[in-house]
Amino acid sequence: MSDIKIAPDGLEVARTLDAKGLSCPMPLLRTKKEIEKINSGEILEVLGTDPGSRNDIPGWCARAGHEYLGEKEDDGFMRFYIRKK
Amino acid sequence: MSDGLFKEKVKNFFKILCQTEWNATVTGLLVALLSILIMAWWRPWGAVGAIRNWGEWILYGIGLFPKPASVVVSSGSVIGIGFVAGAFISACLGNDFSFKFPPPWELVKAIIAGVLMGIGSALAGGCNVGGMYNAIGNLAANGFTMWLGLIIGVVIGLKYIYWEMEHVTWGTSGGRNFDFPYALKILIGLVSLGAVIWGAYYYAKQSDDYVSSLSGILIISAGLGYAMQRGRWCMVQAFREPHMTGDCTLAKSVALSILVVAMGAAVLKYAVPQRGSAVAVQSVLSDVIDEIDPDEVKDEELADTLEDVVDAAEQAVVAARRTLDPVNYVRGTFGWGAIVGGILFGLGAMFAGGCGSGTLWRVGEGQIKLWLVVPFFGITNAIMVKWFKAIHMEGVGPMHEGSKLGIHLYLPDALGYGGTLALIFFAMGLWYIIVDWNEDSNKLIVEM
Repeated sequence: MSDIKIAPDGLEVARTLDAKGLSCPMPLLRTKKEIEKINSGEILEVLGTDPGSRNDIPGWCARAGHEYLGEKEDDGFMRFYIRKK
Repeated sequence: MSDGLFKEKVKNFFKILCQTEWNATVTGLLVALLSILIMAWWRPWGAVGAIRNWGEWILYGIGLFPKPASVVVSSGSVIGIGFVAGAFISACLGNDFSFKFPPPWELVKAIIAGVLMGIGSALAGGCNVGGMYNAIGNLAANGFTMWLGLIIGVVIGLKYIYWEMEHVTWGTSGGRNFDFPYALKILIGLVSLGAVIWGAYYYAKQSDDYVSSLSGILIISAGLGYAMQRGRWCMVQAFREPHMTGDCTLAKSVALSILVVAMGAAVLKYAVPQRGSAVAVQSVLSDVIDEIDPDEVKDEELADTLEDVVDAAEQAVVAARRTLDPVNYVRGTFGWGAIVGGILFGLGAMFAGGCGSGTLWRVGEGQIKLWLVVPFFGITNAIMVKWFKAIHMEGVGPMHEGSKLGIHLYLPDALGYGGTLALIFFAMGLWYIIVDWNEDSNKLIVEM
């Protein structure tokens, strides 16, 4: 599997989804729903703790056509960034 | 040779072995290999055997059940312990372990999930592993009916989750995570690895044949847990993703893995018992002894010895047959039992976010939600199995005569070994083609 993509600094986030503590498949489904709430070109930030999201979110972005910007490690959780298509 | 380069390669090796997520196909093949190895050792693996044994201990603790088999002696439970330990070691070394506390609504779902999975696996005669993966792998017809049930159950579960996301607002956020320094996790992972190895040696040293055989069971199950956590190899995901995102990576991997297990099982079950030394010894002995009637031998000591020899040969055959007996994982549930069981189990796995095996490796990863699934799964299954036994729901004896859940059918009895493998190849191939087609056409996706 590919290496982890690190998100660039200073991204302007339009909306944040807290998916901490959720397990598969909830983080991805909530992301799918949440992205409906932002406009094209805006960025959704997803906070998660499920290691599976590292693969699920980029994979889904590629499938759905959104741009996966990468992840950032925070204190005990991960932040994922997606730019809506 | 430059030392810097060599050091980098060692680091890369550690990274590939312990940190990166393994490719699904490779993981599926490793799981198949280990599944065949544990069968050759003497029994197929499963998840529900462990979970039920632990459930029986809870029921014993509150005074409802008689004392069950010890968790370190029941082979089912040893598989569960090895599996969770392997997943825990992998999660520690790969920095995936942390205590992941879900939001409260997820805990409610965990309880519902456990109950559904407990009932489903009782009806189907196993969870997704013993009732489906290893059942098809062990050439049992009931594996196919559970497979069908699982697909239906997972699609219903997916529709439910979509509904839940629109209608349930209570307790859906506020999850927390308690992490540890990575260095500490590596240390704990290595200590746990040492403990598993020590455990295997400890078993091997025991004088009782059965107990000493648990050494290999422990090690191989730890390998299964390690591989499945590292590859995040989840069977419910294989059933779910084609209908959720269209992704068929895991479905293809599970199909291939089942086919490989079936090939391994066919070799073990067809060839080994016929060439097995126990059978050979017994047939030679019985030929010789047929000509001598121990009752007519005048020398009493010699007569006793002869009887002992005949008994020993017969016992050896029973043991050899038990190891690779087709009865392993053929259940009397080829019919409505495994279909309804598969549906309930699939639905439960959707509530849980993990099937039988997926639940156990996520336990090893520190997912508190799955920690709660296990006791409810175990208690429900223990009660159901006890009740089913009392009313002979699955019939009587190893052939499940008179089962009310379906038919006991060992596929080679109907189709021969060649025909059975052809059927499994055809079914898994068809599944592969359908999910692959769906990945591009999206025809089978359940829309949100």
